[in-house]
Amino acid sequence: MQWAILSGIEGNLAAYEAVLQDIRRQHSSVTALYVLGDVIGLKGDNEAVIQRLRSRRNGELEPQVCRGWWEEQCFSLYGLTGLPKAPELMAQFGSDGVKHLWESVSRESVHWLRSLHFGFHELDCLLIHGSTVSYRDELTPDTPAIQLCDRLIRADANTLFCGRSGLAFACWITPYQLRSTVTTLDATQSPIEYGKTPRRIAGVGNVGRTSGKAGYALYRPGTNSIQFKTVTYGAVRDFAVTER
Amino acid sequence: MPHLIAISGPSGSGKTTWISQFLKAQSTPQFYVCPGLGEISVDLARIGYRFPWVQVIPEAQLKAVLADLPEQATVYFEWGFHLDLGSSFLAGLPCQRIAVLPPDLAQSEWHAWADQVVVGNPVAAPANGHLPEIWCTPLTGQVFDPPSLDALLIELTGGAYGQVQRMKGIFEMPSGQAFYVDFVEVLPGMEYTELNIPPWLGGRPSRFSGIEVVGWGLEQEAIAQTLIDGCLSDAALAQYHQHYQALDPTLDPVEEPLRV
Amino acid sequence: MKLAVMSCIHGNYEALNAVLSDIDAQKADQIYCLGDLVGYGPHPNAVVEMIRSLDIPTCQGCWDEDIVEGLNACECSYPSQLAEKRGHLAHEWTNRAIHPEVREYLASLPMTLRQDNLCFVHGSPNSQHEYLLPSMDGFTALERVLSTEADVLFCGHTHVPYVRDLANGCLQVRVLHPDGVEREHQFSTPLKRIINVGSVGEPRHGRPNATYVLYDTDTAQVVLREVSYDYERTCADIIAKGLPLIFAWRLARGLEFAERADDPSHICQR
Repeated sequence: MQWAILSGIEGNLAAYEAVLQDIRRQHSSVTALYVLGDVIGLKGDNEAVIQRLRSRRNGELEPQVCRGWWEEQCFSLYGLTGLPKAPELMAQFGSDGVKHLWESVSRESVHWLRSLHFGFHELDCLLIHGSTVSYRDELTPDTPAIQLCDRLIRADANTLFCGRSGLAFACWITPYQLRSTVTTLDATQSPIEYGKTPRRIAGVGNVGRTSGKAGYALYRPGTNSIQFKTVTYGAVRDFAVTER
Repeated sequence: MPHLIAISGPSGSGKTTWISQFLKAQSTPQFYVCPGLGEISVDLARIGYRFPWVQVIPEAQLKAVLADLPEQATVYFEWGFHLDLGSSFLAGLPCQRIAVLPPDLAQSEWHAWADQVVVGNPVAAPANGHLPEIWCTPLTGQVFDPPSLDALLIELTGGAYGQVQRMKGIFEMPSGQAFYVDFVEVLPGMEYTELNIPPWLGGRPSRFSGIEVVGWGLEQEAIAQTLIDGCLSDAALAQYHQHYQALDPTLDPVEEPLRV
Repeated sequence: MKLAVMSCIHGNYEALNAVLSDIDAQKADQIYCLGDLVGYGPHPNAVVEMIRSLDIPTCQGCWDEDIVEGLNACECSYPSQLAEKRGHLAHEWTNRAIHPEVREYLASLPMTLRQDNLCFVHGSPNSQHEYLLPSMDGFTALERVLSTEADVLFCGHTHVPYVRDLANGCLQVRVLHPDGVEREHQFSTPLKRIINVGSVGEPRHGRPNATYVLYDTDTAQVVLREVSYDYERTCADIIAKGLPLIFAWRLARGLEFAERADDPSHICQR
């Protein structure tokens, strides 16, 4: 069993095709394909990417797609969820960004995006765009350790795959010591020692943001190993590093 | 000759429990009657659910069934505390009389009536002439929001709607299971028993469920309203059923309602 | 400096008066209030007027927010359908009963208050709706305190008071980058504390008494106070004002009108 996990196509069809080609080339076959949100963006052809995700070719895996930050901006523009008029998008990309996103996704495609899940629980993993706290939760190796620990506890998973930061990394968190003592009106309870086995947060990289270079991750549940892939769809050759 | 046994005693003394110990045997035909609460009651339904081989007799069919009993038959008459021990029907019945009574009750009309006294739960015997009221309602078709049912049972048995001496009910859950809940004022806690009947995941159950409350100063309207507030809407129920069916696709919606 | 911290008054003026008298007798220098001034109880206006007249720094509770913004809590914040129906009845009654200036005051309340190394919130630093229960995972609890950058986090919302000491917290982090670089670091924290101050007007510890907390900023000593008051008067007023009778019954037993939610750390995405 091997999963390909990617995020942030951001409308870049060429980058996504390059990743699909790289997936086909793997020695051990990929058995599941997860897309952790941000399939749309400002720079590429959003409709083309959505059509590609929806129309599987012969022998291809069915992509399991969940919502990301960009999809949520789109829902906000259409008044479907959260605050109206996408204030987050406005703050980051101004009215031009708002206008472009509005024009680049058809109503029918918005309807399809709305049918996507928030994330996937598979085996002992959670696959999600941000975290269970929010689609905008951006986890990186520099996020405070206690916050990463909190997100893992909330995720109720041993590995949390996420895509918001666009970074490729694996971060093992071991909460190994904490003594908690609770006193109530009636008594002081005996202290409880907390301490857990290591758990992992993995950023799966970004497919479409950097032109010519697409990143994604391969995960083997059997060996619990993650491999980060960078695919160049230009002159530079591929390279890969395995993390165990 | 068929064997007829009439069982009486105060509310919560353990009449149904006493009868149940004999209903486990399946070697001879057994019948159960619990007159006075209409066509169907919590006890009648519960005996039917728990001992499917026992014939529970609705009141309307009582005469016909009695006239045509098999030789080996045993018939249990549960004679509720609110029924007259001196009734001509009971007097005309060639039956053995059992009174299930609290241990400290030394003298009562049950003593005078019974052939045999069985010691039951230490419930308070009703003070002379001051019988508690009974309030019962069928809930068939209703399915409860489980935490709401918990809250209302705690309030009901805790005295929020009058002093409750006894409460028993059959409640349908969104998981398709049905529970029998039993409360006796003097006994600790509440007894929850899952009924061994197929889960009902196809729309509103048409099998019997209901509640029976015995006590003093019961605020019936408030109890009824709280029960209604704890029942699931069609939409909520459909959502639950979908969820449980997705968890276990082998759970088919029950098509044939169970006869009680 | 001796602080008195209270929360969840819920329109119970009798209980508030009793607690204020006790605070007086205990000679506290400063009072803080962690919100939920209104909801369920019969005297929302009188409670708010009292808090304002004493100039008590107060943060906004979930009930205060609902009164200001309209009832928009998702059903997940109620533990049962029954509790939700009752909550709506209480909300509608309170919404009709409160004066415009009271609504304005509730709208002006901040989400958090700070004093030196102390932080004050209603539910948790994340949300007025999150319950910090004593049984919550230790590291999750630690995260809530650390996110405020304070040493002591005061909260309410659960209606049962407690003090939770979180000592010797330590985490290890090992980061692996795709270029093969590995980095390891350790993170440890000194003693952190969560102090839940209970509820003045709607206790849930199984007795009808009001609860609040005294905190000495010099010695870090905490005292959980339990104050008896004439709850029967509040019960009588609940009935007289036409609020549901069951509220009075539950108040007299120290059972909160709406129990806590099943998934206490759930934060609804409204």
